[in-house]
Amino acid sequence: MGKVFVFNYNRCNGCRGCQVACKDEHCDQAWPPYAEAQPIIGQFWMKVQDRERGKVPWVKVTYEHTWCNHCEKCALIEIAPDAVYRRDDGLVIIDPEKAKGIEGLVEACPFNAVYWNEGLGLAQKCTGCAHLLDNGWEVPRCVDACATEALRFMDAEEAKAIGAEPSELGKAIGSKIWYLNVPKRFVVGTLVDLAEDEVVIGAKVELLAADGTLVAELETDDFGDFKFDQVDPAVYTIRLISPNKTIEVDADCSSEDLYVGVIDASA
Amino acid sequence: MSSGKIADKTVLKNLGFCGFAINSNTSCVDVKDGRIVRIRPLHLDESYTKEELNYYYLEKDGHVFEPGFKTLIPPFSIAYKNRAYSGNRVPSPLIRVDWDPKGERNPQNRGISKYRKISWDEALEIISDEIKRIHDEYGNHSIYCQAEGHGEGKVASGAHGCPQEMLAYCGGSTIQARQPDSWDGWYWGAKHMWGMEPLGQCTFANGTFRDITQNGDAVLFWGCDPETTTWGWNGQQPSRMCFWFNEIGVKSIYVCPDVNYGAACHADKWIPVLPNTDAALQLAIAYVWLTEDTYDKEYIATHAVGFEWFEQYVLGDLDGEPKTPKWAEGKCGVPSWEIKAFARYWAKHNVSTAHSNGGGFIRGAFAHEPARLEVALHGMQGIGGPGKHQIKFIEWTMLGMLSMSPLPEPVFVPSNEAAYHGWDLAGEEPNRHIIKTLIPQAILNPPISWYGHGICTYPREDQFFKFQFPREGEERLHMIWADAPCWSTCWNGGNIYEEALRHESIEFVLVQHPWMENDTVFADIILPVKTVFECSDITTDSLAGQFPLYYVEDVAIDPVGEARSDAEIVADIAGALERFGGKYEGLRNKFMRGMTHEETIRKAFDESGIPEDFTWEDLMEKKFWAGPVNPDWENTPAGLIAFHDDPESNKLQTPSGKIEYYSSTLARFFPDDDVRGPYPKWIEETEEHKERISSERAKDYPFLLVTNHPRWRVHAQMDDVPWFREIETCKVKGPDGYMYEPIWVNPVDAEKLGLANGDIARLFNERGSVLGGVRVTERIMPGALYQDHGARIDSIVAGTGGLDRGGANNLICPNATTSKNAAGEVTNSFLVGIEKVDVKALAEQYPEQFGRAYDDVNGLLAKAYIED
Repeated sequence: MGKVFVFNYNRCNGCRGCQVACKDEHCDQAWPPYAEAQPIIGQFWMKVQDRERGKVPWVKVTYEHTWCNHCEKCALIEIAPDAVYRRDDGLVIIDPEKAKGIEGLVEACPFNAVYWNEGLGLAQKCTGCAHLLDNGWEVPRCVDACATEALRFMDAEEAKAIGAEPSELGKAIGSKIWYLNVPKRFVVGTLVDLAEDEVVIGAKVELLAADGTLVAELETDDFGDFKFDQVDPAVYTIRLISPNKTIEVDADCSSEDLYVGVIDASA
Repeated sequence: MSSGKIADKTVLKNLGFCGFAINSNTSCVDVKDGRIVRIRPLHLDESYTKEELNYYYLEKDGHVFEPGFKTLIPPFSIAYKNRAYSGNRVPSPLIRVDWDPKGERNPQNRGISKYRKISWDEALEIISDEIKRIHDEYGNHSIYCQAEGHGEGKVASGAHGCPQEMLAYCGGSTIQARQPDSWDGWYWGAKHMWGMEPLGQCTFANGTFRDITQNGDAVLFWGCDPETTTWGWNGQQPSRMCFWFNEIGVKSIYVCPDVNYGAACHADKWIPVLPNTDAALQLAIAYVWLTEDTYDKEYIATHAVGFEWFEQYVLGDLDGEPKTPKWAEGKCGVPSWEIKAFARYWAKHNVSTAHSNGGGFIRGAFAHEPARLEVALHGMQGIGGPGKHQIKFIEWTMLGMLSMSPLPEPVFVPSNEAAYHGWDLAGEEPNRHIIKTLIPQAILNPPISWYGHGICTYPREDQFFKFQFPREGEERLHMIWADAPCWSTCWNGGNIYEEALRHESIEFVLVQHPWMENDTVFADIILPVKTVFECSDITTDSLAGQFPLYYVEDVAIDPVGEARSDAEIVADIAGALERFGGKYEGLRNKFMRGMTHEETIRKAFDESGIPEDFTWEDLMEKKFWAGPVNPDWENTPAGLIAFHDDPESNKLQTPSGKIEYYSSTLARFFPDDDVRGPYPKWIEETEEHKERISSERAKDYPFLLVTNHPRWRVHAQMDDVPWFREIETCKVKGPDGYMYEPIWVNPVDAEKLGLANGDIARLFNERGSVLGGVRVTERIMPGALYQDHGARIDSIVAGTGGLDRGGANNLICPNATTSKNAAGEVTNSFLVGIEKVDVKALAEQYPEQFGRAYDDVNGLLAKAYIED
């Protein structure tokens, strides 16, 4: 399948270098035969969005990226096989001449990666910078701009070797976007003996599934904190075994990351 | 199938924003059909091999850090062509419609009345007449050169401050001092404790990144964000270093009121502390160490003086108030149990502190105290030992000092001094200087006095000398000549500065700038300046933390509108002055130093210090010179290890050569100063600064505002870049379609206040109001609010008590300096109230201001201020 994009969640600082480089290449500049010019604002052929996670004082931001997956089973090609095609290297191109007026292309994409250009009457999206690859570039603009190696463009074999893989939907339709370190959920809290005004260090903490099975266990750290990271979204029970008592806390992280707060271990 | 040509030519440009001829962010600018088509990183392997530059691999437990072989440019550089083509560009010379140099000058209308276009010849004649008149009537020093700090990194084509260079050839002028604003707390405080000339921190940084990798357990990012300010100065190497610490398990602990952009992706732990209350937290940590006997007493005995004063103060022996964790909890909002755990963790581990400028830690009232207290804590844990350092993620090799590089240091950094047409950093005859924080007072209420030149490169001792402006028998200021002005958006009390700009004593305000923004619209004459793309120049990229680069910057595009370079403008004004003869004779040639622009560039190369076996022809062929890092980088002594191991032979730059917990020189020169006293302490409030939640004012203004350096600007620059304005954390779209500057409000406070996402609110205190768009977020702790500083001014009512639509919160920050003998700025962590506003009602009240020419791409347009 040629080269694939690999996005590593653990290496992205949210700088928008990829998003801005994409705009620098495509806004107000047409690259025939692959793309008409993108409007100066409003379209995001590479889109980065902040996803805030947790509550004070356990807050992180994950940066979600959305762009064309250049799928083997591209829904756009299915509905407009004369206007949308896949190059030998796997890049899916909306032909800017032949696709004029086909509004359905925007809705067809399951990743919301296609935009409607009102002025041109044209569906537009990431071209993988095909015009640059044709001219000797090894990677698209977004990848060249990435300063932290969060976004890479590599042979599928190499991507497989480093453990990258597409999303479940991506696997089903042959996506060219593969991921590393996809975030799951964190469940976090702090164990404090409020009567003594001291954190509790080294207490055993268990994360139990709804059926009572042990999912993970750890000890509170030097700050009295316990953090279960990368757990599956689910309803859990946290069991804290402090010197004074054992405490059980409900922990529902099925819809979002969870900070359970300060747990009082006072006698 | 093949696509067409992707570029006609490529030129190299430094797209960093430090200025002062020390640059970064080397970018390839591709040009096609006379327009910039793309801006991208430079790949060094176009001209060099890794072996030639001593490319290195730092290893830890099977992980590898590499410096990278393409430049690590930030989004600022990638998007920068928008600045060249902005609807905000000054199109031609402009004159204020109701400013008549031969009649009514209407100073009160600056910032209000509009402009009309004039020719360059007309402008040069008026300007030269005015300079001559001011010189004759008042003397040379009534002209004040408002040379602002950061911006495009031009060198020969006219860096910030080039007007003063020309005026120095005909008798001098008055210049605003290049304040140590990024380091105010360190400069006015920490220097008295541990030297670290000239900035007061991180002078001895070599080897620290390697040593923390090998021996460090944790890094405390204290009030600093390695993912914002660093972009404009270094690019993105700081981000890669932070990811490296994450990767190898060096714990990243963020101590700050906000989840800044570094904390957002790097923090292993966040300790929220109320704005500018760090001193209380620090004192309580010292208290824990003192009472639990967990500090390095032997180190204190051999490396410090006056510790007993500090010890007695912390324990409460001097003021009856032990600085316990419970005491601190009430001040700083960190629970006492957490303070104790934090103190014990630090005492047991190899801990470093990290800084990146721009956060609130040392830009609040009494900033010298938290800065000194950090040094005090470092001393108690034996700084300089393995994994125990102060590390900075910005300003590497600053001032040409290789010792300031925490990464493997370059062998050598070339200089552009020979071509630099910029700021006079010496502040010497024939010039006068005014410390920058007191400029409004110097205009409104002369004479004024203060201690120290306030120039960032000056040594500690300079702070004991008193200065006055104007000097006895000399006149006050009557003319302002500003280049790239942004005083009111970046300094202490912008609304007061707007009053100064409109004061009747100021007869002429001349501004040269590429864009119609901020102080520019208070000018009487505005001259259009070329962007870096329209100039040729020569540059050094020395701050990026990879390999030093040196290259000629060719012209990329034709001038936009009628723009000229800063140096061309100053030379043209010099030429116009020559008609008066006398001291103006030959002035243009003097300013040009007897050379053409091209000869100046060549001279810079000849005197750059680049080894002679690399010739000008080599530079032309390879396009850039790249320098190696020290091949012996693995053995560079780390940080303060020499002082740590042998303090008698490796003294600090203090009178005793040791860490001075009690500064005998501060005690001697300022015996009555109980705010910046001889030893560091907690200051609740003073007559000048009542900015605590305990202050009486807090009843009306109950929130502490965090005003970090912006994520999507460099200070006040780039607020017109469309690709940033549409980012969700950059602006909030109001119901009127206007893009407002975000205000972060914690959900707990938002509920109490009845504020929701997207509401437009007013931040206010007795100094005025600024508007913003509400973002309800967990990224700010309850009790604090957050708004980036530097939004572009869109003045509804100017001056004290005024209202700004843009959200330029420097307008309402305190006017007074850090403390009475330390003339630093106070621009962060001050009290405000917040309330929802009805923008439609405001628009009805102020139809003209709300009706200014504006579009969704650039925001306010230059034509908003120009008559049809």
